[in-house]
Amino acid sequence: MKKLIWFGVLVLALASLASAQQFRTFPQIKKSGKILIGTEGAFPPFNFFDDQNHLKGFDIDIGNAIAKQLNLQPEWKAHAWDTMLIALNQGRFDFVIASHTITAERAKAVDFSKPYYCTGNVIVTKPGGPLTPEALKGKVIGAQLGTTFEEFAKQFGPKQLKTYQTNPDAVQDLMMGRIDAWITDQFTAIEAIKTRNLNLKVSGLLNKEEIGMAVAKGNSLLLAAINKALDDIQANGVYAKISDKWFGQDIRCK
Amino acid sequence: MRLWRLLFYSVLSIIALVAGYYLFFYGIEFLLDEYLLFTHFTAEKVPHFAHSLRMGAEITIKLTVISSVTGLILGLVSGIARLSKNPFARLPAQFYIWVIRGTPLLVQILFAYNALPFMLEPVWKYLRPLGVPPVQDILTPYWAAFIALSVNVGAYNAEVVRAGIQAIAKGQWEAAMSLGMKPFQVMRHIIVPQAIKIVVPPLVNNVIALLKDSSLASVITLLELVHQGQRIISITFRPIEIYVAVAAVYLILTTVLTIFTDWLERTMNRRGAASA
Repeated sequence: MKKLIWFGVLVLALASLASAQQFRTFPQIKKSGKILIGTEGAFPPFNFFDDQNHLKGFDIDIGNAIAKQLNLQPEWKAHAWDTMLIALNQGRFDFVIASHTITAERAKAVDFSKPYYCTGNVIVTKPGGPLTPEALKGKVIGAQLGTTFEEFAKQFGPKQLKTYQTNPDAVQDLMMGRIDAWITDQFTAIEAIKTRNLNLKVSGLLNKEEIGMAVAKGNSLLLAAINKALDDIQANGVYAKISDKWFGQDIRCK
Repeated sequence: MRLWRLLFYSVLSIIALVAGYYLFFYGIEFLLDEYLLFTHFTAEKVPHFAHSLRMGAEITIKLTVISSVTGLILGLVSGIARLSKNPFARLPAQFYIWVIRGTPLLVQILFAYNALPFMLEPVWKYLRPLGVPPVQDILTPYWAAFIALSVNVGAYNAEVVRAGIQAIAKGQWEAAMSLGMKPFQVMRHIIVPQAIKIVVPPLVNNVIALLKDSSLASVITLLELVHQGQRIISITFRPIEIYVAVAAVYLILTTVLTIFTDWLERTMNRRGAASA
């Protein structure tokens, strides 16, 4: 009889764990004074590790500005890209700022903030390689796993689509000639070419994407707070300064 | 007459193997299909997902088979070389075993895919004009993984072979040599047939481990089972169901492999017992 009771207790305990809300709500976050922010760290110039192994980038600066606006101490966590939104729902971070494109599929899993910048995809290739959507047909395309770049590349009818754990892996294969073209964000492409002095060509913008910050599904108070903080920094010039520092222009969605 | 019978049975077994292979993977895809529908994945996408996972499983099995066969040969040669009196055979073998067992398989896989092409550049400069395709067309994720996996399992197999040979009593060597046999003849007729009984179980173990180690090739973009699973998860955001499916397929594959290797072990033991 005693064993049965203990077993029942165990089952109830596990069940409660399963149904327990895993993320921290805004009141809980405010009480702790700290906000956990998730990012990737392999997507320059938005989020990357510098040579001192510190997280740097546009996303980092915006994230820090939002935390400051909310009077909270930011604590950053780097995470693998393709499972980041899953980790967000598990409560490993309070919000994610890692240049996620807002898509209907993703919006089913997490809640997105208002877009904090707009950008577009480009094709990057060696000189003489395919630079237009039509030229990509039958070629080998590389893109990061779990990105809109990967989805986007599929529509060009490539001979083969290679998916990489990170963008720098894709650049490496492009330089080695294993892929004919790399699909990525316009600013990432420019940054990669600039910092490593690569001889690559970039196409024009192929589409428009809205980039948002993400919170766990249902974390509405935090979402509202982040949206307000974003409005504030876009109004008071903090956003403009950060954008100018990284891109020489204001990249918010017009 | 015996030649015809041998030919007939060989052709029959090849046909049976190929048919069995396709039937087996058709079954896997069917099971995956039913599972994904049962767990409420979008119905139009389910056939595509099930098919992707099946293709991943096929690549995993094919990679495992060719890597284990090559690794077996590598292990046999280096295990025996390791015991040779000749330092030109013994020292390279010892070095190979030491380095490969002392470094992580993941590093070896990344090395084969990312570093080897650069190291082979000087050699390829001379081979290109002869019409040999560029090094990156040959060192594809599949073949880079094959090289890393066979070299890795070869080192572990070498130690198993060495232990098996050393387990045979020295008295056998002495008796055989006193009959005037040369070392190679002793190996071939006396030592190796007895050593086989000892080495087959651990060698088989290494093959089962290799099947699971092949999952590391996902980081060099090989579309094996794990990577296919990662792609589906990044689209559907349902890690639990997909990881369970991937793990289940690995379990099925290792179980089938274990059944086959158990049969192999029993056959070897019967043969060994018969000849002893």
